[in-house]
Amino acid sequence: MDLGLRGKKAIVTGATKGIGRAIVEALLAEGAAVGFCARSEDEVQATVAEFQAKGGEVIGGAVNVRDGDAYRAWLESTAQALGGCDVFVPNVSAGGGMDSEKNWWKNFEVDVLHTVRGCEALMEHLKKSGQGAIVIISSTNAIETFAAPMAYNAMKASLITYAKQLSQFVGKAGVRVNAVSPGPIYFEGGAWEMIKGTNPKFYESTLRAIPSGRFGTPEEVARVVAFLASPAASLVTGANVVADNGFTKGVRY
Amino acid sequence: MDSEKRRLLIEASKSPAHRPVRRVAPAESPVTPVEHTPDPGLGHALIRKERYTSAEFMRLEWERIWSKVWLLGGCEQDLREPGDYLCTDIGRESVLIVRQRDGGLRAFYNVCLHRGNRLRPEGCGSAESFTCQYHHWQYDLDGSFRRIPDLDTFPQGAPPCDGIRGLPCEAWGGFVWFSLNPDVGPLADYLAPVNAHLAPYNFHKMALTRDLTVEWDCNWKASVDAFNESYHVQGIHPQLMWYLNDLDIQIDTYERHNRYLIPFGTLSPRVRTPNAIPDPIKVIMKGAGMDPADYDGPISAIRRDVQKWKRTHGAAQGKDYSGLNDDQLTDDYHYLIFPNVTLNTHADDLMLFRQRPHPTDPDRMYYDIWTFELVPDGQAWPERPRHQHFRHGEKSIGLVLDQDAQNLPGVQKGMHSAGFEGLWLGAQELRIRHFHKVIDDYIYGPGGKPDGAL
Repeated sequence: MDLGLRGKKAIVTGATKGIGRAIVEALLAEGAAVGFCARSEDEVQATVAEFQAKGGEVIGGAVNVRDGDAYRAWLESTAQALGGCDVFVPNVSAGGGMDSEKNWWKNFEVDVLHTVRGCEALMEHLKKSGQGAIVIISSTNAIETFAAPMAYNAMKASLITYAKQLSQFVGKAGVRVNAVSPGPIYFEGGAWEMIKGTNPKFYESTLRAIPSGRFGTPEEVARVVAFLASPAASLVTGANVVADNGFTKGVRY
Repeated sequence: MDSEKRRLLIEASKSPAHRPVRRVAPAESPVTPVEHTPDPGLGHALIRKERYTSAEFMRLEWERIWSKVWLLGGCEQDLREPGDYLCTDIGRESVLIVRQRDGGLRAFYNVCLHRGNRLRPEGCGSAESFTCQYHHWQYDLDGSFRRIPDLDTFPQGAPPCDGIRGLPCEAWGGFVWFSLNPDVGPLADYLAPVNAHLAPYNFHKMALTRDLTVEWDCNWKASVDAFNESYHVQGIHPQLMWYLNDLDIQIDTYERHNRYLIPFGTLSPRVRTPNAIPDPIKVIMKGAGMDPADYDGPISAIRRDVQKWKRTHGAAQGKDYSGLNDDQLTDDYHYLIFPNVTLNTHADDLMLFRQRPHPTDPDRMYYDIWTFELVPDGQAWPERPRHQHFRHGEKSIGLVLDQDAQNLPGVQKGMHSAGFEGLWLGAQELRIRHFHKVIDDYIYGPGGKPDGAL
């Protein structure tokens, strides 16, 4: 099946590691041109070089998405450089934590506001595309109780609501909006690698909750994202697609 | 092993490449010298296993080390008022250390001169005098006889001495020290240079918060060894690789003591940088008053940022860091005071281990854990914790120390195996080699170890 991504212009946030990086890789493999960002200039440059070495049409920039002005400027310049934007994947997250009230502000600014700002800033480009697609990265933590009542979980939940309502709002303009909720995803340098080392009991209990007994990989999430981002998913909008290898237990119908 | 197999071994076993940790320069350290000492050139020989199991070697250790050197007795905070005392055992001996009416400190053999009964059990307390529970012979705080019931029924009179036999006793660093050797030199000479190194830590402002003795089924040296290297972090403390740099440590050896300087609040070069601040590093940040949720820098900058934060905010928190260098605000300056005191020294706390041999069995030991926390100016001194004594496995002593403790009985068993000759030490374990060299200096005289000796 050809997803129809060839020649499309995609923008992904937070993509030097893990799920974001795998999404860029998947989109490049489907023939899209991709612009991505991360906070560390060194890591962005190294990642760009690696993808370019494989022949990908890719550009990268260092930006902290908490800085709204800098982030919007980066989005606009990236869309300009790519010659438009057909696909937007806001992926950056502040991650979990219950250190203080600041976690709420940080998850709000990073997880929620960066998604909303990105959607708004790129909407004209996405409308112009005619096949515009937004894929918002949420989490299974949004739909089932996980670990602790972290800001991360609640903010990820708000993204599912936002995705659904935005999809109604911009559907007329031909822009689809979906959310993807990955379950526990293991990758080198990821949270679960650290948890395996620092809290092996929690790691093991999480692993046991997955029927097949293995964590997901960023590549598996990226394939779901690539499909939803592509014209092949033309009928799918406002959905929250759970990609968790059976980690969640609730029945949703 | 054939050469191909050896090549594969070397390939599979390389220590990870890493950028050197930033450390303070000697000029940036106001008191504690940070100069790296030259390689003591101790060779690469095997440390023979019999040193851990031999009754004869144990006897030599008693005769030439335990009964000769200065030993840590207890905490001065337990001896604030006249009559406050503590009792501590070493080998077959027990020592009574007492705060005198004139404010001085005196130590005695903890034994009644009548029939040999112990005057006091191990532990601390407060007394007007010391009365043997057997026949109520009574001694004053200075050890002199105060009352001998029915003395008139002893035709020979009282013993010709003044009272229980005294021992050298001195205080340093908030601790009291004693020696079974009446001819021991000054404590300060014995502790040098570590006493000067540790001067800027505010030990006298740190309150004892945990006081445990755990019986371990291993030789006391196996315990000292375990804390004298960080090579085992990747083996039995994998969680610490997201907390400290176990590979880039500075090892320094002195005449009889040694140390290493371990960067805390940073990642081991053995792990990849994660996408979130590791929980153990968050603990360090919170301890300094920082909010990890408010931290936007890279993980690699946290150690330095915590140092700067403490430097800026320490005084307002009632913590005097003025004598400490920046690395001391985050790192573990880890000392061994020969023969048996391990100090995990930090700006805000001290975790001290005292490793004592069993009186008779080289396969057993007593592991004392004393933890101290800095009491910020203006805050109340916490109540002293109750001393607990138990055997290994009966209670948890915390994840990291449980990991150490679970391992040591197996190490001791290996010392009895025909399939094992002795310790095969690498450069990361230089302090172990140095520790054993100092033991040899005491047992055989400096440089006097005969060929083939244990």
